Amino acid sequence: MKVLVLNSGSSSVKYQLIETSLELIERNADRALARGAVDSIGGETSLHTLFVAGRPAISEAGEILEHRQAIAAILRLLTDSERGLIRDVSEIGAVGHRVVHAGERFDRSMMLDPEVESGIRECVELAPLHNPHNLRGIEAARRLLPDIPQAAVFDTAFHRTMPARAYLYGLPYVLYQRHAVRRYGFHGTSHRYVAWRAAALLGQPRERLRLVTCHLGNGASVCAIDRGHSVDTSMGFTPLEGLLMGTRSGDLDPSVVFFLMHKEDLDERQVMALLNKHSGLQGVSGLSNDMRELLAREHDGHERASLAIEMFCYRVRKYVAAYAGALGGLDAVVFTGGIGEHAPPIRERSLAGLGFMGIAVDEGRNLGAVGKEGEISPSGAAVRVLVIPTNEELVIARDTLRLVEGVPVHG
Amino acid sequence: MEFRKLGVVGGGFMGRSIAEKVAASGIDVLVLEQSDALAVAAREELASSLDAEIAKWGITTAERRALLARVRFTATLADLADADMVIETVTEDLARKQEVMRRLGAACPPDRIFITNTSTLSITEIASASGRPDRVVGMHFMYPVPRSPIVEVVRGAETSNATFATALELARALDKQVIEVFESPGYVATRAMIPFLNEAMHIVLEGVASAADVDRAMRLGYQFKMGPLEYADRVGLDKVLGWMDHLWRELGDFKYRPCPLLRKHVRAGHLGRKSGRGFFEWANGERVDPGAAGGPES
Repeated sequence: MKVLVLNSGSSSVKYQLIETSLELIERNADRALARGAVDSIGGETSLHTLFVAGRPAISEAGEILEHRQAIAAILRLLTDSERGLIRDVSEIGAVGHRVVHAGERFDRSMMLDPEVESGIRECVELAPLHNPHNLRGIEAARRLLPDIPQAAVFDTAFHRTMPARAYLYGLPYVLYQRHAVRRYGFHGTSHRYVAWRAAALLGQPRERLRLVTCHLGNGASVCAIDRGHSVDTSMGFTPLEGLLMGTRSGDLDPSVVFFLMHKEDLDERQVMALLNKHSGLQGVSGLSNDMRELLAREHDGHERASLAIEMFCYRVRKYVAAYAGALGGLDAVVFTGGIGEHAPPIRERSLAGLGFMGIAVDEGRNLGAVGKEGEISPSGAAVRVLVIPTNEELVIARDTLRLVEGVPVHG
Repeated sequence: MEFRKLGVVGGGFMGRSIAEKVAASGIDVLVLEQSDALAVAAREELASSLDAEIAKWGITTAERRALLARVRFTATLADLADADMVIETVTEDLARKQEVMRRLGAACPPDRIFITNTSTLSITEIASASGRPDRVVGMHFMYPVPRSPIVEVVRGAETSNATFATALELARALDKQVIEVFESPGYVATRAMIPFLNEAMHIVLEGVASAADVDRAMRLGYQFKMGPLEYADRVGLDKVLGWMDHLWRELGDFKYRPCPLLRKHVRAGHLGRKSGRGFFEWANGERVDPGAAGGPES
């Protein structure tokens, strides 16, 4: 079955067309036929790019004002008689949508129906920057492809197995009851994918594995996975908590917020922008949120670039060690995400000093595993260290297929 | 209705502030000024107020770039003809606003809706000059527009239901809560605020307490974000006097009669923040008198 995977953001729609089936999943042989994106929706000129293996990339500029036009443009290009891949939209068997926040409503991927859609709408308050755009994509796809089944795959769902001791904050319990203030965690689809791949690479059933997975990108989170289930994760009520990120502060004493609001005369909106957009690697270095640039500048002797990198790696290390404690032992650490997949020095520095736990990184293997799967711990290490490029779209396509086929989606 | 491009007449404080919010909401804006030189100046003012917002961590440099790319400034009225809607923001003066409506009515296609941003004037009177009074509606935006969560949407006598509904849609697109108002001088917000400002000024005039203490009492005692006199200084004392004079004339109630101290300040050219002096001392848009935030009182 061909599944169209849609990731609708504020001003972009990213998509993949993936050929999958239960049999292909079994063999891990399902692959993307095409990947593309419509960027700058609502801007002066939007850009639509499409990559199909073995063909030159297609790039189209034009005016695309909203998500429905973007998805219509995607369908038009996919069915284009010369440049497209399918003859007719009816070849699309199902559509899978990435949805950021499911709150406590959904603990797994769901077929979309009016009730599920309204559940997603109820979570808008928890993810005002994401869920409305996801909903816009869902609505547009429903109108453009009314006869094709659609599913939602949630970033938060994988973490719903966390125990209360991990997801509750030390606040009056009544606030959890009234407002559902708790840790939700994000990047769940990515953590779930790499945990599944790690089990395959290690040749062990995931029911035996205790993993710490590190999704390190512009947004970054760590997850403790006990026998296939998320038991703790570093992002919290929102994606602001946890690691130092590209432009987000990560963990912070909440008193700092009120102190700064007073000292700098900031309102709520400004302080939220400060913590989400001006902090992290960008804020500390004063240079950039791009780890590649920071590594280059550190090489040239830039002190605050170096400090930002040190802080980033130190936080990863703290979480890895803490989660090993939470899991009561550790079989493997997994790196994924843009930085996790492509920055050997960050992987090495993040795990430095954890030799006492049996964690080590082999220099040659580490340098060799860039943008591809590989083991970077030395042979015979007590704790294996893996690099696994994430593939959230594949998880979304597979869950969508499973829902259409009526088989369980967890796994 | 899909809002793709809005026209704004007037590149002053209010016009720029509205343009900033509209652009931040993903809608293109064309701001009309009276001359090329004023258009250039208005653009520079907008850019520098965005710089101030960056200094307050409110936006990033990339967001500033994207926002400025959505706002164009012009001195040619005919450029507004292809805007989906036009918002008029010129000085709170009936004759001037009517003149703008007359010119817009001549320049824009007959189906276009005009919004007048006024805090006290009659929508019905302003709309009468447009040649399409059913397509004119009042929206009283509050300064600073990007931060204020509300807008008063005001029906004139001739405003059609469709026009009113479109104004509500625009408010939603700009993420504003709506206070629906039937035409009446000062609507809700200004009318309730004016006696409050006036009374604070009378307290100072009578020597009961200093301006700083009046403000401190209201700010800390009743949890206002700023005191009434600082608020008046920020708005501009000439503008506040204009509101009061208007309400006093229209409603004839003594509670709106402008405090003599206010009139004295305005006659002396002490207009508040924009002139550097009013009830308080100002420099570069910030209070510099001893009672200012960060000074001895806090």
